[in-house]
Amino acid sequence: MVGVFMNEPVLQLTNIYKKIKGKDILRDVNLSVYPSEIFGFLGANGAGKTTTIRIIAGLIKPDLGKVTIGGFSLDSDFVRAMSQVGCIIESPDMYKFLTGMENLQQLAAMSSRITQDRIDEVVELVGLQHRIEDKVDTYSLGMKQRLGIAQAIMGRPRLLILDEPANGLDPAGIAELRQLIRRLAYDEGMAVFVSSHILAEVQQICDTVAIISRGVILNTLKVKEIGKDVMVEWQVDKPSLAMELLKERWDIAAEQTGKNRVRAVIERVMAEDINQAFIAEGIRLAYCEAHGGTLEDLFLNLTGGDEIV
Amino acid sequence: MYRLVQNEVVKMLKKKRLYIVLGILLVMISAFAYGQYHSLDRTREQLTRRIGMTEAGDWRKIAEQQIIDMKSRLDSPYINEQNRSTTRVRMEQLQYYLDNNINPVDISGARFTTRFIEQSIYLFLPLLMILLAADMVSGELAGGTIKLLLVRGVPRWKVLLSKYLALLLLELNVVFFTLLISVAVSGIFFGYGGWTEPVATGFQVAAGQLVTSSVVNVPQWQYLLMVYGLAYFVMVVVGTVSFMISVLVKSTAASIGIMLSTLVSGSFLNSFLADWTLPRYLFMVNMRLTDYISGSLRPIEGMNMTFSLTVLAVWMAAAIVVSFWYFSKRDILV
Repeated sequence: MVGVFMNEPVLQLTNIYKKIKGKDILRDVNLSVYPSEIFGFLGANGAGKTTTIRIIAGLIKPDLGKVTIGGFSLDSDFVRAMSQVGCIIESPDMYKFLTGMENLQQLAAMSSRITQDRIDEVVELVGLQHRIEDKVDTYSLGMKQRLGIAQAIMGRPRLLILDEPANGLDPAGIAELRQLIRRLAYDEGMAVFVSSHILAEVQQICDTVAIISRGVILNTLKVKEIGKDVMVEWQVDKPSLAMELLKERWDIAAEQTGKNRVRAVIERVMAEDINQAFIAEGIRLAYCEAHGGTLEDLFLNLTGGDEIV
Repeated sequence: MYRLVQNEVVKMLKKKRLYIVLGILLVMISAFAYGQYHSLDRTREQLTRRIGMTEAGDWRKIAEQQIIDMKSRLDSPYINEQNRSTTRVRMEQLQYYLDNNINPVDISGARFTTRFIEQSIYLFLPLLMILLAADMVSGELAGGTIKLLLVRGVPRWKVLLSKYLALLLLELNVVFFTLLISVAVSGIFFGYGGWTEPVATGFQVAAGQLVTSSVVNVPQWQYLLMVYGLAYFVMVVVGTVSFMISVLVKSTAASIGIMLSTLVSGSFLNSFLADWTLPRYLFMVNMRLTDYISGSLRPIEGMNMTFSLTVLAVWMAAAIVVSFWYFSKRDILV
């Protein structure tokens, strides 16, 4: 961990473009993931999540753009860049004819720093110690997923990439996984890159989220900041006065959506002040309702209710 | 690198494919030995009926009778040109053995072991090599496990090289076990002797005639090593080409299918070789290297040991280049 600066990204993608069979899969993708950050990569199926992950893992080459991992260019310094990565890509495929332990030993043999002690440690960490000597053939999807996580983290990577890690896990398993990810990120300082199409999951564990749709990253934001803005709809008797007020005092552009309805996007904390002001100005307020403030609203809003491509 | 090769060997052993291959070998060798034993018996029996008991006990008499039979076959107006040249060469060879007092009729364990590889070098053993090589890369592509190998800070060429080296090792094992099983099984039928009896080698064919001027006699064991050495080289070439196909296609079934049809087309194309020069640059018609040194090859102008070795070596080199080039640049989308 020598030479790691908190302000330097572990993973950086710059202007990535990729076409597969003449179809634009990714267009101008940029993102940075920092140490101790859990970075969520959110998109509908077919939005380009897995392609992006394959590019980061060096399985496919971008047509344009640059991937840097821990300061090393993936293209020109593949070995040093990839030595810092642990990942699961799409499904956790392992050798079915080997036992879980044999799988881990095979993969550990490919890097010089993983000892048998470390293997035992991660097996315990993912809770597979009782079945590790069984053939992978006999594993459930959830157990394969755990084995996949074990092989990804056993080399103590600086960058951990998890593609849809909750697939096949039961609710208890998902909770355990969440805890494990937090521990790896906050205690061991890993940068964790998680892709998912499940919004609630991303909102629950990620610090930062990037939303991708049809190959373009639409927005990258801090999860903490989601919910600051809400869309509020008022039922009032003088809609034009209400709109004027909003414009004058807070510089908020509102729109009239019905005979007596006014709608505007405001900061959540301002709602009380605004309602107070309406009443003080003699506007009769029938009711007021707030929409949004969750990642789901934001996602649907940004992607226009993304259809599955 | 050593650990990577070790990984590949472990996977191969755990997949049990190698044991299946060795099992097939054992069954085939036993069947072949039994067949040889039986047909030798039958030949003797027939000749005993024709030339009498005492005569048939002497291998010289049997060889002489065989030469007479072949001569009369050559005189037949219905024999085609191909058979005629093959028969003529075989007859002249038999004559050479007679003249030099070498017994070509009886079979010893050592001779069987040689003969088995001569018979299996162009189809049977290559089939086994295909079974081993065909899924080395395509199997990992189909199973998605290739991703595990390529995301670990090991360059792609090293991953592929470790697989290739493991393949060469396993092929060496299969050829070695062929030798071992042949000796063990044939000994039961023909006895374990015959290692020092002389074998004539160095026959050449010029203008459809057998040239015996450069023939030398070597002991059977030495000849056997030569034959197995050539067989290993042929297996490496077949394995390498099969390995390349395995890199190029995504499914093991397709990979085996392509190689199978290629091999079978080889024995099919063989019959055109005399009149059509293009197919002789294909690797699969150049695999009968042992026939050059035993002199049992149908004489074809322009095809000799040097030619075939060169063709095979070029194919092997090309297959290696294509495999590594394609594997290093391809997008892994599984």
